[in-house]
Amino acid sequence: MAHFRKKASRKTQISTSSLPDIVFLLLFFFMVSATIKPKEELLAYKVPNAENLVKPEMKFLIKELVIGFPKSQKLGVTPRISDGKRYMEIKDIAQWATAAKAELPENYKDQMIVLLKADLDVDMGLIADIQEQLREVDVRKVLYRTSESTTDPIQ
Amino acid sequence: MKIRKRKHDQEVNTGSMADIAFLLLIFFLVATTLLQEKGLDLQLPRKKDDTSTSSPIKERNLFKVMVNSRQEILIKGEYRKNLVGLKDEIKAFVLNNGEQEHLSENPKKATISLKTSRGTKYASFIQVLDELKGAYFEIYAENIGLTKEEYLKLKQSDPHQYKLYLKSKEGIPMNISIAEPTI
Repeated sequence: MAHFRKKASRKTQISTSSLPDIVFLLLFFFMVSATIKPKEELLAYKVPNAENLVKPEMKFLIKELVIGFPKSQKLGVTPRISDGKRYMEIKDIAQWATAAKAELPENYKDQMIVLLKADLDVDMGLIADIQEQLREVDVRKVLYRTSESTTDPIQ
Repeated sequence: MKIRKRKHDQEVNTGSMADIAFLLLIFFLVATTLLQEKGLDLQLPRKKDDTSTSSPIKERNLFKVMVNSRQEILIKGEYRKNLVGLKDEIKAFVLNNGEQEHLSENPKKATISLKTSRGTKYASFIQVLDELKGAYFEIYAENIGLTKEEYLKLKQSDPHQYKLYLKSKEGIPMNISIAEPTI
């Protein structure tokens, strides 16, 4: 009798002791592969500091434009515009804005916010040209990306 | 008795679920780049050919700030070395309510004009715009008895705070106008 009972109570469990190892292996794999190929930034920029920052309530309204200096020396040292994926010329802005607007839901189309990430050394002429293009297609909300300064910028 | 004993627990071990969850969490934390969306907002004017809403602004209702390509500042036709005191001047200008001859008639009509030249550095423009916005935020904050820092932390998604937010702006639109730059 005792012999039989022993056989019946034997459980068939898979050993899970190696599971953490597998999990960590996966974790490191993804961590490494994610940092090897980050989203390549086309332009280098350093945003200016400001104090009185606001944060838009609806983030999906935001579309980004980067104005900075090319990272590659071959492209010269004049400021360029990029939407994060490709370089753009002034004349492309209106088309880009219209396309970005089309992605938004119908009732938010007039509320699109263009986030301008511009380098602090860029001339206002370029910024004004971009704004001019945006006005043409009735995209009139802009947000100048600035980092937060704790001290008063005057001093 | 025998039959009951023979029933094996055939459940999948869930002890490792936590590990998998943490793995996913960490992966997404690492892989997602957060959109940094804080900044200075501004409403651009309408299209150039759209003249339906434009009417000439009286000289006394206009507070002109100009920055030239040498980053020199001109406030109301006066050369300035820095922006000290600009905030207070704007507050006095906006909240004048017709008291003084050379300042605005009322907050609704008061307009701040910020003009740059094509060669003005973006940093100088932001610095001035920051001051202008700061002045308005201080006015709004004082309206509801908060400090500017508290005012900027108001959440519009909270109905009570949104009410305060609307109350603070009542009758005082933020008329900051960006003139097209000169060459």
